[in-house]
Amino acid sequence: MWQETRTIFLESVADVLRAAARVLPSVFAMLLFFVITVVAAFFVRWFVGRLCQRLGLDRRLREWGVTAPSAPGRLSPSRLVALLAFWAVLVAGTLFALTIVNAPVLAAGAAQIEGYLPRALVALVILGIGLAGAKYVERSVLIGAVNVGFQSAGMAALAARWLILVFVAAVALEQAGVGSTVVMLAFGILFGGIVLALAIAIGLGTKDLVARSLGRRFEQEPPQEGEHPTAVSGEDGMQHF
Amino acid sequence: MVDGGGASSPGNFAAALREGFADGLDGRAVTVLQAVATPEMVLADPDQNLQAARRVPEGNLAGGGVAGDRSALGAFLREVDGRGAAAGALVMGAGHDKGVDWLRLFLSPILENGAEFVCPTYRRARLEGLVGTAILYPLTRALYGQRLRQPAGGETAVSLELARHLLADPDWQRDPQHAGSDAWLVAKVLAQGRRVSQAWLGHWPGDPSGSGDASHALARLVGPVFLEMERHVDRWQRVEGSVRVPTVGEPGAIEDSAHVDVGKLVARFQLGLRELDAIWGLVLPPITLLALRRAAAASPEAIRIDDALWARVVYDFAVAHAMRVVERGQLLRSMTPLYLGWVAGFANEVRKLDGPASEARVEVLCAAFESEKRYLISRWRWPDSFNP
Repeated sequence: MWQETRTIFLESVADVLRAAARVLPSVFAMLLFFVITVVAAFFVRWFVGRLCQRLGLDRRLREWGVTAPSAPGRLSPSRLVALLAFWAVLVAGTLFALTIVNAPVLAAGAAQIEGYLPRALVALVILGIGLAGAKYVERSVLIGAVNVGFQSAGMAALAARWLILVFVAAVALEQAGVGSTVVMLAFGILFGGIVLALAIAIGLGTKDLVARSLGRRFEQEPPQEGEHPTAVSGEDGMQHF
Repeated sequence: MVDGGGASSPGNFAAALREGFADGLDGRAVTVLQAVATPEMVLADPDQNLQAARRVPEGNLAGGGVAGDRSALGAFLREVDGRGAAAGALVMGAGHDKGVDWLRLFLSPILENGAEFVCPTYRRARLEGLVGTAILYPLTRALYGQRLRQPAGGETAVSLELARHLLADPDWQRDPQHAGSDAWLVAKVLAQGRRVSQAWLGHWPGDPSGSGDASHALARLVGPVFLEMERHVDRWQRVEGSVRVPTVGEPGAIEDSAHVDVGKLVARFQLGLRELDAIWGLVLPPITLLALRRAAAASPEAIRIDDALWARVVYDFAVAHAMRVVERGQLLRSMTPLYLGWVAGFANEVRKLDGPASEARVEVLCAAFESEKRYLISRWRWPDSFNP
């Protein structure tokens, strides 16, 4: 009885040890890969941070009005992008490391997330660029509209910004694979509606301006040689040059 | 000379010039060349087929791809240097005042008085060239201490020594996008303490089409001056006051009614105050914004932006340009309503004045720019101390 128990116990221990011996290299490989991933993530964070600095990302975003002037303790866009890159590499590397262990449940989950990660990252990049572009365009439209004397300049700028935001959000969601059909349909309706509303508003609001502008274009004659060119001037009756 | 887009062809203009100076200029030989803006600037004899014209080597032009008269400067300097000319004039291809011996006036300060650079000045109506009156003249004068009435004339005359010196400037390689502009040339000449002169050449020969767009004028003319401020900061911070520049020719202005639709200008100014508040808030201190709001509250006939306030506004925008507070193109265009507000006040004031009195009014404005220069230096050194 004691002998049988001893034999079974020893065989079980041997089985456990054999199983451990089979898994252990994979675990070591996973740990090694994880360490390499951490090192790579730190390198990527440093590299992306430097790249953003070289491209003047913080300055450009501040100039375009996307971010407020820097303040102590505030996370700068360069650092944010570098941190995002760091975590992207770390998560991707960890998931890949988990597949090395040959655990079916882990491997299946990791593969699913790995497949989705690049799409999510691209969607995030599209969203970031869209947000920056929308703010820049909003400012440009605002300044341009004010300079031509458009009374609803703020509204026009806001509309331009939201047009871009809606478009970018739709593209990002499509890229991320979130409810693609519904999103595209909703986008089409919303975008078309905004464009139609803007066209009607601008058309009605600027018909006199367009008429005056076309009238000047066709009625204007070039100055004769030797004639002092005061006849040609701007809309406000002056020559600014 | 440069094709200025005038009514007569540059070839005819060159022929007329050559005919006029067939016997030379005061015993000196005169050579007339034509600069044509193709993808690369070329200088050629007007009689030759331009296809066969000598191409100007790359690297001597302002980037090679810069269109218009700016890129012509490099080719022009090269030509003056290559020919060993005592003096050279880069002029528009048409439209000069036939009642004035303008070319002789333009070159005489170099040939007779030892000047190195001659800045052209033109007789213009009081409400013409307003960016120059409002910003370029007072700002350039306050910065460099020389009273050049029209520092962005588009034409220029230089001595051989100055041409060689400018050609050797590293900016042609270091910053080809900006080297060769009027602002670049004037800032170089004034900052280096060169012998400067100005010549009244009659009425303005430029092409007035498109000069009515204030926003475009500000971006094109003021941007380069702000840029040059950054380069010559060591020089202009040491300059105080200003001195007269030796002048030839008959000064004056064209009499006009000085009538503009002030109501429209004021409406733009008020619209800017209402809509661009967020952008101006990054550039202007709160007290300046408050003063502008008070000015805008006046009736169109009574509106006036105080000279010291206007000087501070221009200086604040120069600092914001240097600090890149707002994207530079947007920053300069956002200045338009402020400028139109100033123009409205100026038009109200000069309407009742004659030519000399209007010019005296401009001198008062320049004095304000000079007295407010301490503010500029202070803001330039400690820009953050004023930021909201």
